[in-house]
Amino acid sequence: MSPAVQRKICLLGGFSVGKTSLVRRFVQSVFSETYLTTVGVKIDKKTVELGGRSVHLILWDLAGEDDIASLRMSYLRGAAGYLLVADGTRPSTLEVALSLRRRVETDYGPLPFSLLLNKRDLAAEWAVGEAEFDTLRRAGWRVSPSSARTGEGVEDAFADLAARVAG
Amino acid sequence: MSAPAAVALERLLAPREETGLDRKLLAGLLAEVARTLEPGSGAEASAVEPVDPRLEQLRRLLLGREIEVLARLSAEIEDPERLAAAVGRVLPSAIASSDARLGQVLAPALEKATRASIRSDPRTLIDILHPLMVPAIRTSIGEAIDKTFQSLNESLKHALTWRGLKWRIEGWRTGSSFAEVVLRHTLVYQVEHVFLVHNRTGLLISHVASEDAVSQDPLLVSSMLAAIQDFVRDSFKGSDQGLDSLRLGDFRLWCEPGPFAMLAVVIRGSPPEELRDKLRDALATMHRERRQALEAFDGDPSGLGDIEAALAAIAAARQRAERAPRPGFPWLVALVALLLLGVAAWGGVRWWQSERLRAMEARHWSTYVERLRQEPGIVITEAGERDGKFTVAGLRDPLAVDPRQLLRDAGVDPARVESRWQPYEGLEPEFVLKRLEASLEPPAGVRLRVAGNRIVADGTASAIWLGRARAAARMLPAGGPTLDLAGVKNLGEGPLLVLRTAIQSAEIHFAVNAPLPSPGQDAVLDKVAAELKQLSSLSAAMRIPARVTLTGHSDDTGPGTLNLSLSLARAGAVLVLLKKRGVDPDLISVQGAGPLEPLEAGGSETARSANRRVSFAVWLEGQP
Repeated sequence: MSPAVQRKICLLGGFSVGKTSLVRRFVQSVFSETYLTTVGVKIDKKTVELGGRSVHLILWDLAGEDDIASLRMSYLRGAAGYLLVADGTRPSTLEVALSLRRRVETDYGPLPFSLLLNKRDLAAEWAVGEAEFDTLRRAGWRVSPSSARTGEGVEDAFADLAARVAG
Repeated sequence: MSAPAAVALERLLAPREETGLDRKLLAGLLAEVARTLEPGSGAEASAVEPVDPRLEQLRRLLLGREIEVLARLSAEIEDPERLAAAVGRVLPSAIASSDARLGQVLAPALEKATRASIRSDPRTLIDILHPLMVPAIRTSIGEAIDKTFQSLNESLKHALTWRGLKWRIEGWRTGSSFAEVVLRHTLVYQVEHVFLVHNRTGLLISHVASEDAVSQDPLLVSSMLAAIQDFVRDSFKGSDQGLDSLRLGDFRLWCEPGPFAMLAVVIRGSPPEELRDKLRDALATMHRERRQALEAFDGDPSGLGDIEAALAAIAAARQRAERAPRPGFPWLVALVALLLLGVAAWGGVRWWQSERLRAMEARHWSTYVERLRQEPGIVITEAGERDGKFTVAGLRDPLAVDPRQLLRDAGVDPARVESRWQPYEGLEPEFVLKRLEASLEPPAGVRLRVAGNRIVADGTASAIWLGRARAAARMLPAGGPTLDLAGVKNLGEGPLLVLRTAIQSAEIHFAVNAPLPSPGQDAVLDKVAAELKQLSSLSAAMRIPARVTLTGHSDDTGPGTLNLSLSLARAGAVLVLLKKRGVDPDLISVQGAGPLEPLEAGGSETARSANRRVSFAVWLEGQP
């Protein structure tokens, strides 16, 4: 068995999109969330088995802020890919995700990424239509609805991203 | 082959500008060869054809191998790529074996190229030089100051201790400075973790932990460290440097940045600055040896397995605390200390003993002096200790206790005592009593005792003794004890006086001119002898001195001188006769009275017969 590889993955998303919930449920974490407010980043790890070898996704959970300007872009240096998280019940967070992506692309060029439209379990409040999904997918985006509560879409998204960054 | 032939062959093989052969020369040459072999052949050079396939054949025959080599060489030289490869193969050794001129030739070109490179991208050069520069600049001023402070602190701390002294000796022995020795012994640390963190991604390249270290997932720690470094750099703009050390309680985190990877080391305890140098050296070495692998690292550690050994070497760095007295018990020191202690103890005991002896003697002495003070008839005027001797002076009644006797009882060495006593007569009742007893010789029936400030006499005594006692009482010094004789009953006409009367009434008679008693006087002599013996014992018992005088008498006939000697002889004869009857002769004295004390006056025979006698006189207390 070949040794495990690591990849740096950034976790980006607007305020209150459920990033922390995702991390809490699906990710190995040792550091306190206070790092997010103090240092602006918290490191977590997600290990994905990929074709007989382990891929450690080292997740840089960047402080979720709607003010894109305050994001410390230096934290993205050396990232192999990133995960955008938006709240499916609040279209404004999708806007934030789009602008985050633009910002990353400007500074670091095209990188593999996925978009998680979170809070899928709140079906009644769901606000993102199929048309928007299609638009994004046609633009080459990997978009999947997810729920930190039910786990829907989360593992798949990690596995997909791992395959793309470690392949 | 002849010499000209050889020269010709050489010329043939020598490189020519034209590729074609000098056929004419060759033909001449061959003809010459033929002639040499067979002189009559008549071969001529002119007979050679301009083009002769046989010649080509000969050429191949003779030079086939050389032609092949030449072809290969020319191909090598003419193809620039192959030429470059060939030169590349020999260039390092060519440069290595070249003399100084090569350097002189190359230097200007290299300098020019380097300058151009730095102008276009200084970063590249910095990356290249980093591993080389770091060791050179590591002894920066800041570190020097750090070291100075560190060693100063330690020096001060240990300057005056026993351990400090030991280290000074060690420094002197090993030729190192005291500060170095102190550092060597006092810096106690252990490297617990070594992380090699990729700069760009923050991913962990390699991690080594000491055996007993505990930590979180090193992958996460590594990235968090990288994030914190980024945070610090971003937060303090203008500073290109991140954190280089953090301290948390007993732990220190030292970060050493390199061009592509950062070395982060977690240390428990107080590491010396030299460890920092060690980290830099290790990091520089890694960058020198694995530069490309480090630069291209993308999260796959498989190509960098050997880095772990370098980290393990760092993780092995530690300095154990010197356990205080365990390694090698300092026997010599202990022995000397014990010896000193022994001497001190011995001295102490001696001193204590002598002090105790001295104290004991002083105590005995003061007890003695105190006893003397209490003793009647002794008055101490001066007592003390001078020049190691005890001195005592005062007045002493001769009847008082002997101070020397008392000295022995008190346990004081008489040799150490000087005594000066003046005699005096004490008025203590006891002494007055003693003195009276000595002078009055009280009879058996009388007892003297002290009652307050009086001497009281009880019992019965003769009037004579009483008279004497009264006289003595009157002689006692005024203010002193008095003698009370009221309790003594007067014996009056006691048995002694009866005896006196009886003895004095007796007479021993003699015939005319006879010195010996007349016949029939034995009964009188016996009676008187018995009475005298009684007197003697009674007077002794009553302590009343008694004396008896025998007086011999004669009648008035015959010459006077004869009568005197006759009377004395008669007294002496009676004394002898009494002595024969057991009377103590010391009681008796004799005298002769001649005819001078006649019993009866008159010249009749009866009177004369009565006067020829020995009479007795008894003296009690010197009184008749």
